[in-house]
Amino acid sequence: MTQPLLEVRDLHTVFSTKEGTVKAVDGVSFDLTPGETLGIVGESGCGKSVTALSVMRLQRPGKIVSGKVMFKGQDLTKLSEYEMREIRGREIAMIFQDPMTSLNPVFQVGWQVGEPTRLHHGWGAKKALASAVNMLSRVGIPSAESRANDYPHQFSGGMRQRAMIAMGLTTTPQVLIADEPTTALDVTIQAQILDLLRHVNREFGTATILITHNLGVVAGMCERIIVMYAGKVVESGPTKDVFAHPTHPYTWSLLRSIPRLDAEKHEPLKPIEGVPPNLADLPTGCAFHPRCVFRVDRCTRDVPALLRVGESQLAACWVTQAGGELTGA
Amino acid sequence: MHETSVKALSRAWTTNEPLVSISDLRVWFPVASGVMQRTIGHVHAVDGVDLEIKAGETLGLVGESGCGKSTLGRAVTRLLEPTGGTVRFKGEDITHIRGGHLRALRREMAMIFQDPYASLDPRQTVGDIIGEPIDVHRLAKGKERQDRIRELLRVVGMNPRYADRYPHEFSGGQRQRIGIARALAVEPTFIVCDEPISALDVSIQAQIINLLENLQSKFKLTYLFIAHDLSVVKHISNRIAVMYLGKVMEVAPASQLYRRPRHPYTGSLMSAIPIPDPAIELRRERFILQGDVASPVNPPSGCRFRTRCPRAREHCAEETPPLEAFGSDQWAACFYPLD
Amino acid sequence: MIGPSRVAELDVPAAGVETGAARPAQSYWNESWERLRANRVGMAAGLLIVVFALIALLAPLFSLVVTHVQPQTINLDDTFFRPGLRHLLGTDELGRDTLTRLIWGARVSLGVAFLTVAMSLSVGTTVGMVAGYYGGWIDDVLMRFVDMVLAIPAIFLFILMSILFRPNAITLAAIVASVGWGSVARLVRGEVLSVKQRDFILATRSIGAGDARLMVRHLLPNVLPVLIVAASLGVGQIILIEAALDFLGLGIQPPTPSWGNMLTNAQSYFFRSGFLVAFPGITIFITVLASNIFGNAVRDAFDPRLKS
Repeated sequence: MTQPLLEVRDLHTVFSTKEGTVKAVDGVSFDLTPGETLGIVGESGCGKSVTALSVMRLQRPGKIVSGKVMFKGQDLTKLSEYEMREIRGREIAMIFQDPMTSLNPVFQVGWQVGEPTRLHHGWGAKKALASAVNMLSRVGIPSAESRANDYPHQFSGGMRQRAMIAMGLTTTPQVLIADEPTTALDVTIQAQILDLLRHVNREFGTATILITHNLGVVAGMCERIIVMYAGKVVESGPTKDVFAHPTHPYTWSLLRSIPRLDAEKHEPLKPIEGVPPNLADLPTGCAFHPRCVFRVDRCTRDVPALLRVGESQLAACWVTQAGGELTGA
Repeated sequence: MHETSVKALSRAWTTNEPLVSISDLRVWFPVASGVMQRTIGHVHAVDGVDLEIKAGETLGLVGESGCGKSTLGRAVTRLLEPTGGTVRFKGEDITHIRGGHLRALRREMAMIFQDPYASLDPRQTVGDIIGEPIDVHRLAKGKERQDRIRELLRVVGMNPRYADRYPHEFSGGQRQRIGIARALAVEPTFIVCDEPISALDVSIQAQIINLLENLQSKFKLTYLFIAHDLSVVKHISNRIAVMYLGKVMEVAPASQLYRRPRHPYTGSLMSAIPIPDPAIELRRERFILQGDVASPVNPPSGCRFRTRCPRAREHCAEETPPLEAFGSDQWAACFYPLD
Repeated sequence: MIGPSRVAELDVPAAGVETGAARPAQSYWNESWERLRANRVGMAAGLLIVVFALIALLAPLFSLVVTHVQPQTINLDDTFFRPGLRHLLGTDELGRDTLTRLIWGARVSLGVAFLTVAMSLSVGTTVGMVAGYYGGWIDDVLMRFVDMVLAIPAIFLFILMSILFRPNAITLAAIVASVGWGSVARLVRGEVLSVKQRDFILATRSIGAGDARLMVRHLLPNVLPVLIVAASLGVGQIILIEAALDFLGLGIQPPTPSWGNMLTNAQSYFFRSGFLVAFPGITIFITVLASNIFGNAVRDAFDPRLKS
């Protein structure tokens, strides 16, 4: 197996709130190998975004209390803010959910897209703009040369997201973190952006972490996924295996609760009862147990570790770790 | 005259005629500019829509943002005054009714909104929110009113004791249930659901979809279900109408629309929806639309979709394709339909 | 207060019920009040104003029981008394008791302030609400009128008005409010415009509610927090304005004591008795400071931005 590019080990990020300390990321570990696309899936508040922000050390006001983020032999959690700035945007780039607010409205798009090269490579305005224009046209902005002079409000949502991706790519980073990159976009535009991300992954060999709540998006984009719930990884493995044989009840129930476009006939959905837990007041044992249809006594007491279940997957579930099968109506 | 109209509205609709019929409906919004706020053009939000909604069915209305689907929903429920065309409800022309007649209509139609945070008044208790339609239409008072509020909460799967709490104490899914209870309070026959689940967490969406389906069969409701997520719409709807830039591009039974879309836009919309199955996603043929939706202020001539359509030819710019029948229950507005 | 445990014991009826809603019923008003109560300095400032207001209300009683003189009682034998046991805060050039005059002056100063706030709030709210809710030409007409009102140089208006009307507490309040309502109207209109956008307004229309219900039951409660904040911050400002008008001789006329006209008098005798300037000055200072501190505390407690 190839050497991982990014190794996250037992990462803990906490926030202090009125209701007490909240463990937004609670012992998350994963690897990212060069050139792969890894999906992080979960609902709002599961910690998927905070995980990504912690990798970038942008988790404030949260605090990384323990764990390691190994990237090219150094632990990012130990770097100074100054050293971290050298990594951000140059080695690891990030694009965000809302393309409407992630570009500064008072600067021209070309200027902003060129900013990472001015900052990291010390390029002059002219050279940076030329590379920005080049990158804008490579991400599919028509007549990039003239559009580079536009201001963000003259771009549509999809084009802004393209510009954000272009900005991320100008310094040819090794890792691209995309946090819900298509959630704010229409489906046909979402298809365009996902296609662009696939293309970027192939052409630039950039390893991508794709964070999304949409199971359909990861199904078509990622070789491997990790599923998060209440700050923890509950399941991980190759996408096709996780979808075909989920080994955590959360994944299993989630897949059965969403309507599928290709459903042959109308069958009632099988919802997951209850609501995602309040992070400040987590249930004892496995955080999913109050909503789990497979729970056994032990689930209410002990927190399961993420262990190998089956050929290729890891799951944090007492039932499947003991050889239990997830089946039922 | 009003008297008879009100009666007409409240009688049961058992005929085979559509419950709601919309013809050539237009809703334009003026675009103002300059110091004097002169009108320099119009947003053609809904621009000549013909649709029928049958009693007891769920008609899904899909399209991307800005296609006019929400505006259509609001015009049908007369929260907006249409610019042109007509809306008929139970055979009655309701396009421009006012006063008491409009109030009577409000007992027949209800609406469920997208944002469960914005659609409930934060200063009211849950009981007041659900009780308000009861008060407005003087349906019950005192203990009877309290009982109805409790009953409505129970119907949407919430604890009746929650009546004296405030919206901010509830999660998104619970707030949406409160919004549904408010919609049911007038005992409507027709409910416009405007993106009722798109603001909710994935694991909560199915709960609300199932609730809406159960309520429909329990209370014989007719839904206009507006959403951008085709997989949800396909699941819940009997028939689906696809809108693009203020016009209906295709109408068909849900399964038919998926199996055999006729309009190129429907086809590309279908192919853009990711399916949560890697095996299928891997071998799916992608049909990715280029470009962005054109401006609704200056919509393209002829077919609105032609600027992004891979099949567009010269003719498409010259003439607007009408909705044409494909078989008995499918219509598409395209000169060069898919086969 | 109900503990959170009560939620846990709630029986869950039909399937499909989400549990949760982990807190007991808490209205926005309760929560704001709790936050306000937690602010000690703010509460102390508020309490001080309440105490001053009570003293002002009970001024005749104080005259009778505490100081034993009326504010207008002249005693030429006791002029320019220094503060002491006989006259706690001393006397002025006519031998009038300063404490008594301050207490009676509080009636005028606080009375005018509260009355002005009440007047500008009710007019401003009505105009702002109507303008914001109906929009269109109604909004244009009303807001252009507000612009004009706010463009009037207030000081000239006050001079003109005080020449036309003999100022007493009520006319003075009306004069100050005739300018003050403009900014309230603007504030309310802005707030209404933003609340009006929210879906619950549309939702309420969709169930058949009329304009009056929407404005009174939905817009007003949602605008109320900014009104409360505006009112509590306004009191201090108006005390200052009123004092200034009195000082210039445009407000309450002697011999009726007010904090402002006590200062007018005192300036002539500044070198004879500094106390005559100091006590009304300090009183005004403390009252305005307290009302500003209280106003800020109220704003922190009610800040509508903290809540959705």
